[in-house]
Amino acid sequence: MDQITIREPVVQTQPVKATARGVDVYYADNHAIKNVDIDILDKTVTAFIGPSGCGKSTFLRCLNRMNDTIDICRVTGDILLDGEDIYHRSVDPALLRARVGMVFQKPNPFPKSVYDNVAYGPRIHGLAANKAELDNIVEASLRGASLWEEAKDRLDQPGTGLSGGQQQRLCIARAIATAPEVLLMDEPCSALDPIATARIEELIDELRQNFAIVIVTHSMQQAARVSQKTAFFHLGDMVEYGETTAMFTNPEDKRTQDYITGRFG
Amino acid sequence: MGEHIVTSFDEDIAAVRAKISQMGGLAEEMLSGALSSLQSRNTDLAQSIIELDKRMDALELEVEEMATHLIVQRQPLAQDLRLVISTLKLASTLERVGDLSKSTARRGMQLASTPPAGVTNSIVRMGRQALDQLTAVLDAWGRSDVEGAIAVWRRDVDVDEAYNSLFREVVTYMMEDPRTISVGSQLLFIAKNLERIGDHATNVAEMIHYVETGQPLVEDRPKGEPAGHEIG
Repeated sequence: MDQITIREPVVQTQPVKATARGVDVYYADNHAIKNVDIDILDKTVTAFIGPSGCGKSTFLRCLNRMNDTIDICRVTGDILLDGEDIYHRSVDPALLRARVGMVFQKPNPFPKSVYDNVAYGPRIHGLAANKAELDNIVEASLRGASLWEEAKDRLDQPGTGLSGGQQQRLCIARAIATAPEVLLMDEPCSALDPIATARIEELIDELRQNFAIVIVTHSMQQAARVSQKTAFFHLGDMVEYGETTAMFTNPEDKRTQDYITGRFG
Repeated sequence: MGEHIVTSFDEDIAAVRAKISQMGGLAEEMLSGALSSLQSRNTDLAQSIIELDKRMDALELEVEEMATHLIVQRQPLAQDLRLVISTLKLASTLERVGDLSKSTARRGMQLASTPPAGVTNSIVRMGRQALDQLTAVLDAWGRSDVEGAIAVWRRDVDVDEAYNSLFREVVTYMMEDPRTISVGSQLLFIAKNLERIGDHATNVAEMIHYVETGQPLVEDRPKGEPAGHEIG
């Protein structure tokens, strides 16, 4: 044994996909997000954790301007996607949301067929020149969401007729059909059983090859399983952001430690 | 550290910590008894020490069960995770100390039927150094005392040096008078056991450091040059 190799912890080296600088969010007088700076890395799963009401979902929704739909909500500071300000006047929120897709807590397929659920985005954004191209996009998206084998024989049946786990994968297929660059997931497994959850987590790991993924979760174990980076939010502050493994074995901030070990009073 | 929201989690953590302290107390008792039996050539005492090892094995099993239960039920993270991982390692470390003490007692029984060797007193003295190290590091465990753990860690060099000088002394006897080889070899094994117990005390110190700070204790520890390597 002449040489001893010391393994350094794996450090994420992916390029930055989205950047937030000095972001504040207000709901009327309520200061929901306070001066948050973060770099979201490409081809990386970033988990947002924190107690209910800490602002993690609010911040997630800033990343594709979902908060625009709430009248009393005001966002200040800079949020950049590939270096471009997504809140600039020239940015069309609908186009932005095709680039930054979203999956919600409860599966919410449209009351349409499985096929039309997935084809909806490509149609309105004109991503397919003809039916054959659209068929290809639908198949690729369903395969990408690990739903093709289960759904290929029932493409014309209502999406709402699928099981809960299948519906959530349908929503993921719908989100990735517009070839987004970032996928936002707001507690995507909280309404699913452990088997369906495992399938979604497996899927998240595959999707990471192509997208930046940001997931809000209340499950520490899920954050530890699926993410490479974790950000901890508390009372509107982003308290700590770092490598997931380091965060769960040796967090730097006492508030993080108290939260993940179940010590919050 | 504050308390967990779930009170029974705190109780589980306290219970497994206490069980480790109990193992530590037993390890001290076994080592102390083994040294006394060696010094006083008391084979009854040595036999009672050998018997204690069964209790040690049972305690190790209990700690493993408690730690497994904690992992299943609480899915510990951060300091809680480091603690549970360390209790598993501590249990096996203390069980090893018990084994080494048992082996010392057993070899002492064999030596009791041979003429007394003067060097035995020096070996017992070195054993007491190792015992002091063990006691100090178990106190540090009980108090979650990182500084105390580091002090033990640094002092291991004293046990190493005592071992090295004993090693040379016993080898010299054996070279001068081959009739002492049988007794001398037993004494060398005993000295090695005691030196290993000193090492285990530093392992415990490293675990205390990891549990409390999250960082491994990695700086170069002062070490006596291991004796015996110059032969052959």
